[in-house]
Amino acid sequence: MMKRTKFGFLACYCAFLMVSCSNNLDINTNIENPTAYSFERDGVSTVSFSGQSTRIGMATELVEAMLDFDSTESLLLEMYTNETATGGDADPFSNPEYNESTKSVKSKVAASQDFFSSNTTESAIIKAEIQSWVTDQVTEVFSNENVLAEVGVAGQIADGTSVRYVNAQGLEYNQAVAKSLIGALMIDQICNNYLSPAILDAGNNVIGNDSGVVDGNNSYTTMEHKWDEAYGYLFGAATDTSNPLATLGEGVFLNKYLSRVNDDADFEGIASDIFEAFKLGRAAIVSGNYGVRDEQAEIIREQLSVVIAVRAVYYLQQGKRALDNNDYGAAFHDLSEGYGFVYSLRFIRKMESPDSYFTQSEVEEFLTTLTGGNGFWDIKASTLDEMSETIASKFNFTVAQAAE
Amino acid sequence: MKSIISLSLIVSVILLTVISCGDDEQAIEIITDKFDRQEMLIDWADLIIIPAYEAYNSSLTTLVDKKNVFITASTDDNLESLRAAYIDAYKSWQRVSMFDIGKAEEIKLRNYTNIFPTDIEAINHNISSQVYNLDLPSNYDAQGFPAIDYLLYGIADKDADINVALSKSKTLEYLSELITKLHRQSDEVLSDWKSTYRATFINNSGASATASVDKMVNDYIFYYEKFFRAGKVGIPAGVFSGSPIADAVEAPYSNIYTKELFFVAFNAVQDFYAGRSFDGNTQGESLQSYLNYMQEQNNTTDISTKISDQWTIAASAADLLSESFQDQVNTDNILMLNTYDQLQKTIILLKVDMLQALNIQVDFVDADGD
Repeated sequence: MMKRTKFGFLACYCAFLMVSCSNNLDINTNIENPTAYSFERDGVSTVSFSGQSTRIGMATELVEAMLDFDSTESLLLEMYTNETATGGDADPFSNPEYNESTKSVKSKVAASQDFFSSNTTESAIIKAEIQSWVTDQVTEVFSNENVLAEVGVAGQIADGTSVRYVNAQGLEYNQAVAKSLIGALMIDQICNNYLSPAILDAGNNVIGNDSGVVDGNNSYTTMEHKWDEAYGYLFGAATDTSNPLATLGEGVFLNKYLSRVNDDADFEGIASDIFEAFKLGRAAIVSGNYGVRDEQAEIIREQLSVVIAVRAVYYLQQGKRALDNNDYGAAFHDLSEGYGFVYSLRFIRKMESPDSYFTQSEVEEFLTTLTGGNGFWDIKASTLDEMSETIASKFNFTVAQAAE
Repeated sequence: MKSIISLSLIVSVILLTVISCGDDEQAIEIITDKFDRQEMLIDWADLIIIPAYEAYNSSLTTLVDKKNVFITASTDDNLESLRAAYIDAYKSWQRVSMFDIGKAEEIKLRNYTNIFPTDIEAINHNISSQVYNLDLPSNYDAQGFPAIDYLLYGIADKDADINVALSKSKTLEYLSELITKLHRQSDEVLSDWKSTYRATFINNSGASATASVDKMVNDYIFYYEKFFRAGKVGIPAGVFSGSPIADAVEAPYSNIYTKELFFVAFNAVQDFYAGRSFDGNTQGESLQSYLNYMQEQNNTTDISTKISDQWTIAASAADLLSESFQDQVNTDNILMLNTYDQLQKTIILLKVDMLQALNIQVDFVDADGD
């Protein structure tokens, strides 16, 4: 599995072993790699990603509110955009800090430097598509709150003793939004924005970082901060953000699904690989070693891409099995999560390449296959298998490994 | 969410088994399973399942009668007879709840019969608005025995005021509808067993994920784990939430029947395992005899006795509990937790050791909670 990155990591790990024999100082690279994601300048922490924690928090409130039948369409839209329909200041959140913030979820959806700065057309389509699911939740699903879902009819459907609310094709819009944001917001910002040299090395960042010029009144250099912002989109909801592996999986977005993949024996250790790469890359920035930094960025991109792809295949397979048992409620729930992870495939990043693993049209075709016609109501097991194979074939894992 | 353990895991388990046998030890030869699965299915159907449904259905016939009597004359005596019929039917239910197969599975009988804690707000809303659809999954927890328990025992603060509150026409109508629905669904399942499903069930006697034995055993363990162990003991004791939830017990409004209901269910679990007939007079082929057979054939460790021994220990732990689990949770939750722990100890035996011995794959995993 993933020989190349494993090997890369192995090299790092060996370096790390040497480090541990010499007060954490790698004699070859001069990088001081701490055991926790904790960095200081003159005794003051230089790690900061409050903006990422805020957006994760806003997104969390949004997806929760999408299942609260008292939510109005305008409230949900305000949670997505953090402004009123006419662009005024809105206070849709229960957390007052989010209301004071001028940040929003929508502004960072499909908004990375590498993928979308010169592709604003697609960016606008993605932003609008996710927004349409928010709207449709109210107009299609909330309005059928007390209707039993059937082919072509939105409403409720039982999943065990739980109740799921689906559209006419069987899709839970709340799941589509939550899981698509993992790709469109978090993965895109991490892999295609903050870990990119275009951002890390922008302007005078390299000179500034080399000479320790801090960003305004802050304690960090701009480059340090950019790297931390990538880290924050993954681990910003952790209890102890300097040691997120201790309580891996907190929150409802990327961290949670990293934990799920890490729990699969076939991918055990992936969370630690990613964390170590983040930490070593950050330490490399402190030491001014940009070669090591970029190697770590590649590891992170590759491994996070694996997380999304594994999860997409996992849910397609879970959905298939539930359909085999005629358990439509369970199947639709799995397929709804799968739909969001498939949507997220658009944003994952090939190693040492400017491209995504999947083109816009490839992902579009997957999505149309899933929800076209009567959608989940009449999707075939063979179709789900083919899609799973197509996804897995781009990686060094099998459908069976992902499906556990 | 159900899922099947993937082939690769099975393969790796097999590999592991092979490896652990080692080169120099005598490899254990797995003798072909010649146990008569169909005979066991026939015994299950004729000695246990169908008689249990017949008893359940007849207890509901009585409940419908007593309800009708109460509607005609809402006297305190008639309320007491109605309550007695309710408890009787609720106890009968405990003997069929685990058989979530065939028509019961199709119509989601258990979801409409015994999802608790019940949703008082939804019940009161349904009663006052008179606009509701009991078929909706969102109304699972506004019907069945838990809702009836509330109506018969909890609808007024003081017991003396219940008759008056219950006798209001909208409330009576709702109660009536709940009881009628229980009876209708029970009828449907019983007649399906008697007309066509018995044959389907006993003839699907192979060994595969969709065979009757594999399905029934999975349903049985799922019931034991989720509805019996967790639902009746673990959740109110706070095993999954960290702090006790006294209101989450079964039948909290009548209050004094929780232990009784628990033990009927526990006996049903043990009787099914041991193949004891519903009338208690005979013992048929069962998981226990199947396990004994396989143990003898393969000369492997005695799992079957371990399981029944552990249940004896769990029963002694539960004996110490108060008639009201709600009171128990509030006064001394340690005893509840201890009962849970003893019940939990059979999970590994059932789900791993027994299934391995019988070569049955688990077809469910815990939902991932999102």
